[in-house]
Amino acid sequence: MVNPILLIAVPLGLAFAIPLFGLLSQKIQRYIPVAALGFNLILSLILIPRVMEQPVIISIGGFPSPFCINLVAGPVGVIFSALIALLGLLVAVYGLDYIKEGATEKYHILYLLLLTGATGVVLTGDIFNLFVFFEILCISSYALVAYLGDKSGIEAAVKYLIQGAISSSLILIGIALLYGQFGTLSMADIARNIESASAVSVFVPMVLLITGFGVEAAIFPLNAWLPDAHSSAPSSISAILSGIAIKVGIYAIARVVFTIFGAANIFLFITLLGLLTLLIGEMCAFSQNNIKRLLAFSSIGQIGLIVFALGFATSYGIVGGLFQIISHALSKAVLFLSVGYMIYRSGSMEITALEGMGKRMPLTSIAFTIGAFSLVGVPPFVGFPSKFLIVRAALYKEELLFIVLIGFVLAGTVIEGAYFFRIIQTLYFKEKDTSIKREDTSAIALIPIGILVISIILLGIFPQTVTAVLNSAASELLDRFEYIRSVLG
Amino acid sequence: MSVTLLLIIAFGSPFLVYFCGKISSGLRDGLAVVLSLVLTALVALIYGQSLEETFYAGFLGLSLIIRLNMLSWLFAIAITTISTLALIFSLQYIRGKERTDFYYLIMLLVNAGMLGIVLSGDFVSFYIFWEIMSFSAFLLISYNRGAALAAGMKYIIMSLAGSVAMLVGILSLYASFGTLLFSELAVHMSVASTGYIVFILILFCSAFGIKNAIIPFHPWLPPAHSEAPSPFSAVLSGILIKMGTYGFVLLLYVVIGLETFLRLSVFQSILNILAAITILIPTFIALLQNDAKRLLAWSTVGQAGYIILGIAFGTSLSMAGGLFHFLNHATFKALLFLAVGAVEYRTNGVRDLNSLGGLIKRMPITFIAVLIGTCGVIGVPLTNGFVSKWFIYKTLILEGSPFLAFAALFGTWGTILYSYKLIHHVFLGQLPEQYTDIKRAPFSMGVPMGILSFAILLFGVLPGIPLHAINAIGESFGFASLEITIWGTAAEVGVLNTVNIFAAMLVVGLIVWIIFKAGPKVILVSQEDTYAAGAAIPKERYQYTVDF
Repeated sequence: MVNPILLIAVPLGLAFAIPLFGLLSQKIQRYIPVAALGFNLILSLILIPRVMEQPVIISIGGFPSPFCINLVAGPVGVIFSALIALLGLLVAVYGLDYIKEGATEKYHILYLLLLTGATGVVLTGDIFNLFVFFEILCISSYALVAYLGDKSGIEAAVKYLIQGAISSSLILIGIALLYGQFGTLSMADIARNIESASAVSVFVPMVLLITGFGVEAAIFPLNAWLPDAHSSAPSSISAILSGIAIKVGIYAIARVVFTIFGAANIFLFITLLGLLTLLIGEMCAFSQNNIKRLLAFSSIGQIGLIVFALGFATSYGIVGGLFQIISHALSKAVLFLSVGYMIYRSGSMEITALEGMGKRMPLTSIAFTIGAFSLVGVPPFVGFPSKFLIVRAALYKEELLFIVLIGFVLAGTVIEGAYFFRIIQTLYFKEKDTSIKREDTSAIALIPIGILVISIILLGIFPQTVTAVLNSAASELLDRFEYIRSVLG
Repeated sequence: MSVTLLLIIAFGSPFLVYFCGKISSGLRDGLAVVLSLVLTALVALIYGQSLEETFYAGFLGLSLIIRLNMLSWLFAIAITTISTLALIFSLQYIRGKERTDFYYLIMLLVNAGMLGIVLSGDFVSFYIFWEIMSFSAFLLISYNRGAALAAGMKYIIMSLAGSVAMLVGILSLYASFGTLLFSELAVHMSVASTGYIVFILILFCSAFGIKNAIIPFHPWLPPAHSEAPSPFSAVLSGILIKMGTYGFVLLLYVVIGLETFLRLSVFQSILNILAAITILIPTFIALLQNDAKRLLAWSTVGQAGYIILGIAFGTSLSMAGGLFHFLNHATFKALLFLAVGAVEYRTNGVRDLNSLGGLIKRMPITFIAVLIGTCGVIGVPLTNGFVSKWFIYKTLILEGSPFLAFAALFGTWGTILYSYKLIHHVFLGQLPEQYTDIKRAPFSMGVPMGILSFAILLFGVLPGIPLHAINAIGESFGFASLEITIWGTAAEVGVLNTVNIFAAMLVVGLIVWIIFKAGPKVILVSQEDTYAAGAAIPKERYQYTVDF
C-alpha cells in the first residue's frame, strides 16, 4: 500500500530537516531536495496505474468524510504531482552546480517547500487545506524571487508579494463565504450542495476564487507581476515558476470551476480570457530585448493557450490543455535552464549577448533550439502533439466561432515562431568574433537539460504514452458527480 | 523492398554524416555522397510499384501510412537526383567554410523531409515531414548571415503561417470524416458540400501557395533563394518549392478528385488567373534585377506559375504539361543556380551582374551549361522546356483561353529577355581585369552541371521517357490517356515529334556549316577593336590619324 500522504509528508519533513543535516555536513544539504523529489517521482509513477482505475482517498485523522481533511489522489492530482516531482528533481540537480553563492541552505529549504506546497495543492480535497498549501507555495516563491538580493530581484519580489497577498485575501474571503453558506470545507461536499444555493451567493465566491487564483496563474489582466518575477529570479527558480507554479494556479482554477461550481455558463468567458492572455503575452514577448523577460512573456502566452483549451470543457479540450501543461513545463524548463548558463557565461540578459553561443556553448544551444522548436509546435517535438490536440479540440466543437478563435490562437503561435526563430539565428548566425573558445555548461547541469531534451523528443514521437492518463484525468474534471461520489462514498 | 527502410535510411543519414564529420571531413564528404547515391538508386529501383504500408500505428490514435505510387515516385526521383547533384556540387563549394558538418546535416535532412512528404499516405505524416523540411530549410537559408538572416525570417514566418492554415484544414478534415488517409478522404470528399470543399481548398491552397510562391504568397522566395548557399538555392528552387506543387496535385486530384474539382469552376478560374499573374509579373521583375541569383529567383516564381497553370487548367494535356514542366524546371533551374554558384565560387562571391562579364573565355563549360539551362527556361526546341511549354500553350489555345495563352506566351518573351541579360552580363562582353586569371569550375562542380545539361537535352529530344510516367499519373487521376511515343505525342492532340525537329535542326546546322566553310575565310578581330565594328577588314588596311 503506497500512501499518497507520503508525497507531502516526506518533502515537508525533509525541508525542515535541511538545517539539521547542515549540522552534520554542509555538503549533504544540497542533495536533500534531489532525494526528496526523486522519492516523490517514483511514488507518483507507482500511483498512476492505480489511480487510473480508482482514485485513492485518504482521510486524515480517522474521521469519516466530509468531516475530515481529505487527500484525493485522482488522475489529475497524480499527473500534476508526477510532473512537479520530475521537474523539481531535474531543476534540483541543475541547482547543485548552479546555486553556489548566497544563502544556499535557505535556497534548498524554500525550494523544497515550494514544491511541497505545489504537491499539496494538487492532492488535497479540502479547500482550506488547498489555500494553506497555496500559501506555502506563494511565500516560498516570493522569497526565492529575491534570492539574488539585487535591486531588481527585491523590487520584483515586493511587487509579486503585494499582488500575491491581495490575491490570497480574495481567496480567503471566497472560502469564508462558501464555509458560511455550506458549513463545510470539503470540496466534494460543497460541490454536492452547490445547486441548492442561490445563483448570486455562489457567483460572488466563485469570482473571488477565480480572481485570486488567477493572479498566480498569470491570466490577463492579473499578470503584471510575472515578467519581473520570472526574469529577476535565478534561472532555476524561473524554470520552476514557469513550469510549475503558474500551472498550480491553473489547476486550482480548473478544480474550482469544474468540480466545485460546475459553472457551464462561464466556459466561453474563460476561453476568451485565455485567448486574450495568449495574444497579449505573445505580442509583448515579441518586442522584448531581455531574454528572460521574453521567456516570461512567452509563458504568459502559453498559459493563455492552456486556459483557452481548458475552457472548451470537452474531453478533447481538457486533454489538449493538460498535454499543453506538460509540454510547456518541459520546453520552458529547458529554455530557462539553458539560458541560465548562457547568462552566467556572457554576464548579460540582452538577446544580443547570445551572439555566438552556438560556438561557445554548442550543447546548451542545441537544447535551447529544441526547446524553442517545441514551444513553436514543430514536429517531432512535444509541442506538436499539444498544438495538434488543441486545434483538434477546437474543431470538434463544430462551431464557426471556435474556428475563428483557433485562427487567432494560431496567429499567436506564428508570432511566437517569429521571435524564437530570431533568437535561434542570434545563437548560430550572428557572431562576429571567430575565435570563440568552447566553454559549455557544466556536466552536472547538462544532465537535467539532456533528460528534458530527450523527454521532449520522446514525448513528441510517442505522445500516446501520456494521452491515456490524460483521458482519465479529463473525465475526472468533467464528471463532477463521479468525483463527489468517490470522495463522499 | 520496404519503403519504410528507405525513409529510415533517409532520416538516419544526416545524423550519421554529421557524426562522421566530427571524425574526418573526408569520410563525411564521401559518406554523404554515397548515401545520397544509394537513396537515388533505391528510389529508382521501386519504379512502378504501388503500395501502402503503416510505418507507425497509434500516433494520437492515428496510423501513419507510407504510400507509393507513380506520382510519389516521380517526385521522389526528382528529389533524390537533384539533391545528390547539389551535394556533389557542394563538396568543393562548401569546403573550408565554417560549420560544414551542419551544412551537410541540414542538406540531407531537407532531402529526407521532402522524401517523407511525397511518400506519406496520410495528412499527419505529410504535415510532420512538411514541418521538418520547413524548419531545416530555415536553418540553411540563414547560413550565409548578413542579409540571409532577414531572408530566413521572412521565409519561416510565411512558412509557419502556411502550415498553421494547413493544420486547421487537416484537423477539420479529421473532425468531419474521422480519417486522414488520402484514399479514404477521397471517398468522403466526393460527397461533401461545395462550401466545405472550398473552405478546405482555401486553407490548403494558402499553405501550398506559400511554398510554391504563387502571387500574392511569393515575397519570401526572392530573398531566400538569392541569399542561401548556391547548391541549396538549387535544391530550394528545383525541388523544395515543388513540394507546394505536389501538394496542389495531391489536394486537387487525389483528395478532391478530378470531377469534383472541375465542378468548382469559379475556384478553378481564380487559380488559373493567379497562375497567369504569377507568370507575367515576376518575369518582368526578373528583368530588372542586378543580382544573378535574384534574377533566377524571380524567374523561379514565374516558371512556377506555368506549372500551376498546367495543373489547375485540368485537361489531360495541360496536366502532362504542368507535371513535365515541374520536372524540367527542376533540371534547368537547378543547373542555372549551380552554374551561377560556380561563377560565384570562382569570383569569391560576386553575383552583381554589372561587375561581371566576359567569363566565356575563362569558364567555357559553365557558359555552355548556362546556355543550355536558359534555352530550357525559354523553351527553345530540343530542350525539355520546349515540350512542356508546348503542351501548355497548345491546351490553352485549343480550349479557347486566349488571355491565359497570351500570358503564357508573353511570359516567355520576358523570359527570353532576362535569360539574355543573364548570359550577356556574366559571360559575354569584356572581361574585367580582376577576373583575368580565374580558373574553370572545378571538376566536382562540372559533373553535376554536365549531368543536368545532358538531362535537359535528352528529355528535349526524347521526351517520351518521362512522359510515360507522367501519362500514367494523369490516367490514375481519371484524365484521358495521351498517346505517348518516345519522340513526343501522336494523333489526337496533335503530333509532336521532337526527333524530327532534331533531325531538321541537324540538317540546317549542317547546311549553315557548309556555307560558312565554303565562304570567304573568317578574320578574327579582337574585342577591343572598334575600327570597323568587327567587319572583316584586314589589319594592314587600318588607317589611323593623329592631329589631323
